[in-house]
Amino acid sequence: MTFALNRADSVILIATLALLAFLYIRFWGDATQGEQARILVGGKEFSVVSLYKDQRLRIPGTLGVSEIEIRAGKIRFIDSPCHGKQCIHTGWLTLGGEVAACLPNRITVQVLGREPRFDAINF
Amino acid sequence: MRNRPFAVPSPLATRYSPLAFRYCLIALLATASCSKPEPLYQEQLLALGALVNISIWGMEPDTARRAADAVTADFNHVHATWHAWQDSALTRINAQLAAGQAFSAEPEMIPLLERARALSRASDYLFNPAIGQLFARWGFQSDEPKGPPPDPAVIDALVAQHPTIDDVVIEGNQLRGTNPAVQLDVGAIGQGYAVDVAIAHLRTLGVENAIVNASGDIRVIGKHGTRPWRIGIRNPRGNGIFASIELQGDESIVTSGTYERYFEYGGKRYHHVLDPRTGYPAQGTLSVTVLAHDATTADAASTALLVAGAHDWQRIARAMGVKHVMLIDAQGTVHIDPALAKRIRFEIDPAPEIVISAAL
Repeated sequence: MTFALNRADSVILIATLALLAFLYIRFWGDATQGEQARILVGGKEFSVVSLYKDQRLRIPGTLGVSEIEIRAGKIRFIDSPCHGKQCIHTGWLTLGGEVAACLPNRITVQVLGREPRFDAINF
Repeated sequence: MRNRPFAVPSPLATRYSPLAFRYCLIALLATASCSKPEPLYQEQLLALGALVNISIWGMEPDTARRAADAVTADFNHVHATWHAWQDSALTRINAQLAAGQAFSAEPEMIPLLERARALSRASDYLFNPAIGQLFARWGFQSDEPKGPPPDPAVIDALVAQHPTIDDVVIEGNQLRGTNPAVQLDVGAIGQGYAVDVAIAHLRTLGVENAIVNASGDIRVIGKHGTRPWRIGIRNPRGNGIFASIELQGDESIVTSGTYERYFEYGGKRYHHVLDPRTGYPAQGTLSVTVLAHDATTADAASTALLVAGAHDWQRIARAMGVKHVMLIDAQGTVHIDPALAKRIRFEIDPAPEIVISAAL
């Protein structure tokens, strides 16, 4: 018996591996961990960013520029032209559904998750 | 199938099996269809100085969008009616209350004024919507409170005049002020009220499953598909989630916290929940979370109980008809009623010290 792969076998093999990878991520991955964040300015979508691309963003708001840092799956405000700095005190966000906002500058950041751990945050 | 047993020694079969190939495809398609997005529609807006989130489950996106747009208009309307320091129907009322003569108010404003009066009386006036002058003097009637704190003599003089909503006589649509110190500020129930208006409107539009969340003041109806709505309660000290709870049917949860609005001056922090008896920010409590049927009651009660503090919250909660309360004192100790203690799950590590009260 020989084990040479013909074309159809390759297709099945690739499809099976792809299915396995998909199922692994879907059922064993940490579904509550956010993967992306949505940034809104004045209630309108400014951008959707990956939490796995480390970067600093400068977002223009009503008062001025807010600075947002993304590092290793987390996102936070690091600077904002508001007085209260509530947005910065909120700290790192990482779970799907978590929100930080600089209301004076009208900028909000919301972590998007496949299956958000929380549907809403009470505070 | 029966005639053709699956005698394939390994997945790397030498012979091409069209059947196996087809099953693989079917399996792939089946899982793919499971992962189609849930029918959850979400919208965010800024109104009443708050970030408002609306989530609607189980409706066609177009219908849900129309419903969310209607609610957006509601929030803007409440903002235009009740805003305490931007030109609004309320600021016009306040200008006339000081004069002491009878005047007509917008008819739609009367029910909330009466509601505020009932809640204020029930709270032993710890929730006091008539101390607008105090809020203004402290600088909390601004988008960004900065300090400095007002002159103590000014605070004492205002407290001595003892303004309450009983000093506003309501006859039909006619209002009359009987105490020149009265200025209405419904900040402690405005967001909760707007959430209630929004939920009532969503219902008339056929929405059965939704959350309306105005800066953390939340009311839910129905469920998220087959499960309840999951709510995280933010840690009043620092980052992350303090506790979680599942809500469904028709329930509201509101937290008043000293960390929400404050300013720092001379190295001291002054927060926005003023004790009407002293005129100064309430001491000894970090936050109070109230679970109730409607968000207006929960909003007023969370403020009143924060002022009442750890030694007096049970009395005020009973007087207000509130059954589910979690109070976190300045030491971080959780004071909670037994019914809420059963429903809530603490998410912080290490777990907080918990004192369970008598049933409310």
